[in-house]
Amino acid sequence: MNKKLLKRNKFYDKLAHYVITIGGVAVILSVVAILVLIVRVSLPLFQPPTSEIVDHKITVTEPLAVIGLDDYQENVFTIDQKGVLSVFSLQGQETVPPVDLGINHDAHIIFTSRSRTEYSLLWDDGRLSVVGISFRPVFNAEGTRSIEPQIAMQGEYASLPTGSPLLQSFFATSVDEDAPGTVRVNLHQDNSVSIFRTSISESLFGDVEETDESFVIPAYFETISALALSEDGRQLYAGTGGGTLLHWDISAAPVLEDTVPAFKQPITALGMVFGSQSLAVGTADGSLTTWMGVRDSDQSTTKKLRRIHTLTSHDSPVVAILPSRRDKSLLSWSAKGELHLDHMTSERNLYNFALGSVSLASLNDRGKGLIALTATGVQLLKLHNPHPEVSFKTLFGKVWYENYDSPEYAWQSSSGSDDFEPKFSITPLLFGTIKGTIYAMLFALPLAIFGAVYVSQFAPPHLQQIIKPTVEVMASVPSVVIGFLIALMLAPFIETHLVALILCFLLVPLCFVGFLFLWHYGQRFKAIHEMKSGFEFLLVLPVILGGVLLSYYVSPFVENQFFAGNFTQYMFENIGATYDQRNCIIIAFGLGFCVIPLIFSISEDALSNVPSGLRHASLALGASRWQTAWRVVLPSASPGIFAGSMIGLGRAVGETMIILMATGNTPIMDWSIFNGMRTLSANIAVEIPEAPVDGTLYRVLFLCAVLLFGMTFIVNTGAELIRDRLRKKYAQY
Amino acid sequence: MKSKYWREGEPFVWGSGAALALILLLILTLLVVIFKNGLGVFWVSPLSHLEMQDGSKLMGEVVQSSVMSMRDEPRSQLKIANRDLYSLDFKWVSDKDIKQVTYPQDAILIERQEYGNFVGFLSSVTLLNQPSLPSGEYATLLAGLDDLKANMPELEAVKSQISDLNYRVESLDHKLAKLRFRGEEQGDDFQQLTMQKELLQTEFQTLVTTLNVLQARLMQNTARFTDASGTMLTIPLSAMVRVYKPNNLSFFAKVSLYLQKTRELFFDEPRESNTEGGLFPAIFGTVLLIIIMAIFSFPLGVIAGVYLREYARDGFMVRLVRIAVNNLAGIPSIVYGIFGLAFFIYGIGSSIDQIFFPAQLPAPTFGTGGILWASLTLGLLTIPVVIVSTEEALGAIPGGLRESSYALGATKFQTLTRILIPLASPGIMTGFILAMARAAGEVAPLMITGVVKLAPSLALDGQYPFFHLNRKFMHLGFHIYDIGFQSPNVEAAKPMVFVTTLLLIGIVIALASTAIFMRNRMKKKFAIAD
Repeated sequence: MNKKLLKRNKFYDKLAHYVITIGGVAVILSVVAILVLIVRVSLPLFQPPTSEIVDHKITVTEPLAVIGLDDYQENVFTIDQKGVLSVFSLQGQETVPPVDLGINHDAHIIFTSRSRTEYSLLWDDGRLSVVGISFRPVFNAEGTRSIEPQIAMQGEYASLPTGSPLLQSFFATSVDEDAPGTVRVNLHQDNSVSIFRTSISESLFGDVEETDESFVIPAYFETISALALSEDGRQLYAGTGGGTLLHWDISAAPVLEDTVPAFKQPITALGMVFGSQSLAVGTADGSLTTWMGVRDSDQSTTKKLRRIHTLTSHDSPVVAILPSRRDKSLLSWSAKGELHLDHMTSERNLYNFALGSVSLASLNDRGKGLIALTATGVQLLKLHNPHPEVSFKTLFGKVWYENYDSPEYAWQSSSGSDDFEPKFSITPLLFGTIKGTIYAMLFALPLAIFGAVYVSQFAPPHLQQIIKPTVEVMASVPSVVIGFLIALMLAPFIETHLVALILCFLLVPLCFVGFLFLWHYGQRFKAIHEMKSGFEFLLVLPVILGGVLLSYYVSPFVENQFFAGNFTQYMFENIGATYDQRNCIIIAFGLGFCVIPLIFSISEDALSNVPSGLRHASLALGASRWQTAWRVVLPSASPGIFAGSMIGLGRAVGETMIILMATGNTPIMDWSIFNGMRTLSANIAVEIPEAPVDGTLYRVLFLCAVLLFGMTFIVNTGAELIRDRLRKKYAQY
Repeated sequence: MKSKYWREGEPFVWGSGAALALILLLILTLLVVIFKNGLGVFWVSPLSHLEMQDGSKLMGEVVQSSVMSMRDEPRSQLKIANRDLYSLDFKWVSDKDIKQVTYPQDAILIERQEYGNFVGFLSSVTLLNQPSLPSGEYATLLAGLDDLKANMPELEAVKSQISDLNYRVESLDHKLAKLRFRGEEQGDDFQQLTMQKELLQTEFQTLVTTLNVLQARLMQNTARFTDASGTMLTIPLSAMVRVYKPNNLSFFAKVSLYLQKTRELFFDEPRESNTEGGLFPAIFGTVLLIIIMAIFSFPLGVIAGVYLREYARDGFMVRLVRIAVNNLAGIPSIVYGIFGLAFFIYGIGSSIDQIFFPAQLPAPTFGTGGILWASLTLGLLTIPVVIVSTEEALGAIPGGLRESSYALGATKFQTLTRILIPLASPGIMTGFILAMARAAGEVAPLMITGVVKLAPSLALDGQYPFFHLNRKFMHLGFHIYDIGFQSPNVEAAKPMVFVTTLLLIGIVIALASTAIFMRNRMKKKFAIAD
């Protein structure tokens, strides 16, 4: 034979061997890569925050009142106690000439506070200056970026003519378009608090009118050690040396809303959490807690301050608490120089720096840079904590969110406002997934398995060959079609015919049993007795239809007679159950229709594959056809049936379109069959188009995908393993 | 004492029969609902003219009559159309309020480009250059429409020229951006391209003027109508798609209209935010999606299947891999979708953009959803189907055939290509068809990877480089979801949803039936060979 040809053949064979092997392995590897990738995307959620020290050449000579950092971490600004504002680059050069904010050059700043981008500076002569400091990127003709400080004097307030000297002073501007204005709150040495409010109102003719009001809150019997003013200037909180928290509503004349004997130790620091819904409280023993107004019962309209979150304690009295301007994080430091960054919702202690002593510290607005003035000089840190709001507890546990009356599992990923507290609880989604699956399986399993038993055991062979392919073809009906039909056709129908549906569950079995008795009786007649078996399902069909029609026509009468003409109304009034149009009944139908062909097909295969010898032996021993099917064939086929059920379950867990279309997609936790839910899969489909890449929501959605993957993986692998075991067990037959 | 009848469990046989009956009933209901609603959409139904007890008049087709329950009176839903006049398309009328129902012969129905159908009576026609006047207003209207149709090619030609120019300007812009990105703004090329662009823009302006003149001329051909209650409405002829008198049509005319509308469904663009008109872009998108999916998924799936069955040494690893592949078939499609988003779009797509299209950034070219990424995602999703069926088909071939081939001196590769693959081809084919059926019906992963409700241009067209795989696309399944759930007027969209559903389910069931038929035949064939 031609040697060349042989050689060529051998070469091709080798080549094919390698190509196919490489191809095959690559396909299989890429499949593993799917899991790896989605896990990798969601993994950063759980990575601990990191920080890195930034080198700089900034030196501070004067004692400072304010220190801050811009969003790009390129500029540091300071206000010294004489009121000179300087902006430095990281190389220590002043980027703009220093600005002297003071008028009286002998005065010193004794207290500062911040609201949004405004710093209010209280001078020792009783004056108050308000200065807005922000930074803005500027692009020059070459397209290089530089950061330009924007410094604006917002107001200069003269010292108060009367009253005892000031200790602290706060300033807030209302950004509410309906009620613009400014508020200034002062704490006096005699422990009283004075409030000055300027409201700007516009008359019909466009005249702008300013009205000034002032109030005095008389001295409380305990020393007020800390004050906090909400950003809109409407809520005032105070902490006392006796550990009492006070809350006034100062939107009009001050009203003392709440007096809470909160601590045994003196309160040493207060701060409003971003969004001004929650109050952070630090005490002399170093504890750090957040408080929020909560309604004590469903009916009450007043809110009482309650302790919501307990954050990691300091080792010594808390000196100051500063909110992050990006999320619900809090920067706090203690007398011994421990600097903490904690996230309120997740109660995570993100950073814990021991800096010896801290006199001033600040986060930049993006929350990615931290600057602190310590005994050794200025410390500059770059922070990397992209997902502070996520912890195991916020993902799976109950969390007490702002504006909630109690801790809850909640999913609400976004809202219109910046200061919104995102709620990423996966529990309601898992719950919804399980709920939908269970109801669907309750509907699908009996139908599919008994249907398969009938087809394989009792139906004549030529019918088997028609019915099985028919059902199998149904497995390929797109879920979007099923979703559309059940959501737009079935759901409105069932809403108006709910009683008929419930009656069906009663009347159809009744009709069926009645029919069985009749049939039993009919056995005496020769014609019926000798009828060929195998077509029972065709005879039953009219009986079922009859039961359905009967329920349909009887239901208005029943509804009028027993449920005052409207069942859903009756149900709501008597059991308090609400009825959604798109609910679990609909889902059970839809998902059930989707998985019945799968379970049916696999079960039927398993039942048909039972060796016919077993069947014949059983029948020969005198067992009836049902006894044979139930006690002999079904047990032998049970591994296959079980596997089919598991595969159906896996499909129901992951089904997206049906759920998306036929439920309200509300993430509630409620077993009621008359309500909808939101599942993991639908959640991904709903939220991912809006999720910014690599944001927390994006990663949490990938985590949902991992969970979904995990659930189906466990179910499928479990099915495989149990099938193996059962197979061995029944191998003896 | 229990009788023999009960003891032998005969009732349970009946019970399982009932389960089967219920399954079949469900299937039957589904098919009947889809076919009845889907096939009936294009059949012309008569327009009823209702005189109400309170003297008002309504006209429209009766969509459904129902007795809600014993408490309610019988009532009918009327499609009164004329959205621009009434703002609602549908109206429920209580049967006892109706004084008289007539079916006027001259009632006219107009399918329009906008605002859905118009139902009413013709009163007068104004044509700019009247052809030889036929007798009667209706005949004039029809003549005017024919005349318009004759003018249409001219208009279409201008429109296509404009879109062509648009595309050329766009690609020039891309080139300019690239040059700007390289900092060659002073170069000759840049000047030349700018000149070209200006030229194109002047050309564009002239074309737009021509188009406007043409359209203005067409707009002057109008017809006046009255609705049932006598309100006048003037409609330009160019806004009309089709005009007919539903109550005055012979059976054959109805059949011909039915066929016309079916043709429109397959070959025309959608109108009225997808609720009317054709499905062509969606059908095209679905088919192209499946083809690209097949190009990636089929060879890889077959190679993997062949590897697993013929090349891999049987052992722990192969068993593990088999479990993995079976598992893959069970992974929810949305998980594939989210993987496609992270890997194809944000991973590969963004890298392609950075390497090949840096000038266009930050506007993404491949770094956003598109038909290529959607196809690849679907490809991954269908690979397990192909692997499993390839493996099964190869496994079903009796071992004797393999050994005889080796005995005759064939190499493994020769045995594979000349003996095994041909024998297994029906089984592999079955896998392909099942995969295609699955791909045609999947929607969830597409929603993440690039399907849109209205794609401005097809992914395959006459403009260089012909294939635009980065383009977004339309899809039949998503079409159902979109118009059934996101359109502002769901009730009016329902007929279209049913038609789309019928089409999709027709495609899928046809594919699946073929596959199952082939599989069963193959089973029999090898059952004898054993």
